[in-house]
Amino acid sequence: MKDSPMLATFAWLVRDTFRQARAHAIFYVLMAISIVSIAVCATISIEGPATLAVGSENPDFLPRNDVDVQDPDKLEQSGVMVADGRLTLAFGAIEVPLARDTGSAIHFLELLLAGGVADTLGLMLALIWTAGFLPTFLDGRAISVLLAKPAPRWVLILGKYVGVLAFVLFYALVFVVGTWAAIGLRTGFWDPTYLLSIPLLLLHFSIFFGFSVLLAVCTRSTVVCVFGSLLFWCVAWSVNFGRHLFFTSTDMAAESLRSPLLGSVVDFGYWILPKPADLGMLLFDSLGAHDHFGAAFDPTALAVHGFSMTLSVLSSLTFGLVVLWISVRTFAKTDY
Amino acid sequence: MEVRLSARAAAVFEKVSKVYRVGWNSRRVVALDEVSLAIGWGEVFGLIGPNRAGKTTLMKVLLSICRPTGGRVMRLEYPLSERATLARIGYVHENPAFPQYLNAWQLVEGYGRMSGVPRRVVRDRTEELLHRVGLSDRAHETIAHFSKGMLQRVALAQALVNDPRLLVLDEPAEGMDLPARRLLDDVIRERRTAGHSVILVSHALPDVKRLCDRVAVLRGGRVAFTGTTTELAGAGFPPQPGEDQLESAVEALYAGAGA
Repeated sequence: MKDSPMLATFAWLVRDTFRQARAHAIFYVLMAISIVSIAVCATISIEGPATLAVGSENPDFLPRNDVDVQDPDKLEQSGVMVADGRLTLAFGAIEVPLARDTGSAIHFLELLLAGGVADTLGLMLALIWTAGFLPTFLDGRAISVLLAKPAPRWVLILGKYVGVLAFVLFYALVFVVGTWAAIGLRTGFWDPTYLLSIPLLLLHFSIFFGFSVLLAVCTRSTVVCVFGSLLFWCVAWSVNFGRHLFFTSTDMAAESLRSPLLGSVVDFGYWILPKPADLGMLLFDSLGAHDHFGAAFDPTALAVHGFSMTLSVLSSLTFGLVVLWISVRTFAKTDY
Repeated sequence: MEVRLSARAAAVFEKVSKVYRVGWNSRRVVALDEVSLAIGWGEVFGLIGPNRAGKTTLMKVLLSICRPTGGRVMRLEYPLSERATLARIGYVHENPAFPQYLNAWQLVEGYGRMSGVPRRVVRDRTEELLHRVGLSDRAHETIAHFSKGMLQRVALAQALVNDPRLLVLDEPAEGMDLPARRLLDDVIRERRTAGHSVILVSHALPDVKRLCDRVAVLRGGRVAFTGTTTELAGAGFPPQPGEDQLESAVEALYAGAGA
């Protein structure tokens, strides 16, 4: 009895993507970044109060360099605590004085790792690196033999797409779970919300990689895919950020530009394109970043102008699915 | 040229056309113009013609790598829409470019799996075929280090891994050394003995003469001749001095005689 060629092809392509990735030097660069990040987290130690807050109240404390701290009598009378802990890296070689309690310091560090390293640097590197996978795969001489196999063409595209997503998931797991475990083991703080960055990072990547697949199917050019994907991300981010700025800015210049027609155009672009800035906001919201960073936009003002995080994510996801569907349809009709 | 077509054949082409649109102005390029051919079971069929005659395009149509603009094609007695028939077809590309990061074992095994060969069977077949093409000692070496001839051997192994009922060989001997060419001859004869069919696209007339039961000459996307090599050689084209009859007949057909 024969096995299903469709399933076998799909499974083989997913596995093949890992082999393809391992053949590139950047595989080891990304792995090195992950290992260094985990190693840095494994050298953390922390001293100081576990929390300055009581229950769900806001922490009531003074920074160590506040003038009132210098007067012990005054401090004792106020009943306010002083943030006097310290965070050390490289087994004590680097000291970072804490401005708040230790839990907050760890949370801040995790925000930097999730938002800065994984969602910005990691996402860009992954997008650049994987942009070359499909054009190589779709080279006429390489793909011909695969097209003469029984699996339908959509399996070839989806197999490669899922393979790349599986690979990015693997990296996200290594990085996020690795740093989370290292920090937890060293400090005793196990914040599960940090792990939410894994699906959010994958969602963000999957939408933009879908666009890269479309470019690959249409042009079969690595250069077009790399620069096209990055340019598209920048355009989508600018439209997304610009739209929110356009509607919420109280700046006189922005207000003078505001017109119903321009507003409609900006809104149209916003709803059509994927929304990387909103996905970034979603990540920061999910990780509770508001304790450390001010919101870029006033949520109430955004809501007045039709913003909804659910609709934003759904429309980005729809964009990714539509683009992938167009890629599959185009590939199915292409002669090689 | 009238060809008697029967659905009971390994491959049937009935008035098949293929028109490409190329360039910014979508210029029309006719690659195949009402090609009618039938390749029977157990037959080794040669396909020859000058460059850009449409030989590779015809094979691509048969393998669903490109779609015909017109006409009807039957593959293993089924229409092209039955992709499952591809599981019993082997294909050697004229200039294969396999993923450079794979080794010979991974490639042959993987391509066998994609043809639906069960996992247990494909392992044995891979081992056997790599031994047969003389690559068993280099089976786990990445093919990036392989010569053109070695790549052709891997290509032959992957084309045979699913025990195809129809083997399509597009310039398979390109870059092969003498032992590999002998192996190719043996493979083709074995397929015929087993009742399977082979389509050999080649510019090498001695190979075609030695191996093929029948041959078709394509010229400008049309069939200029179909018959045995003996019929082709005696098609009434006097040989040039120093040429054999087959060679002169083919040259005359390429030049436009018999149109």
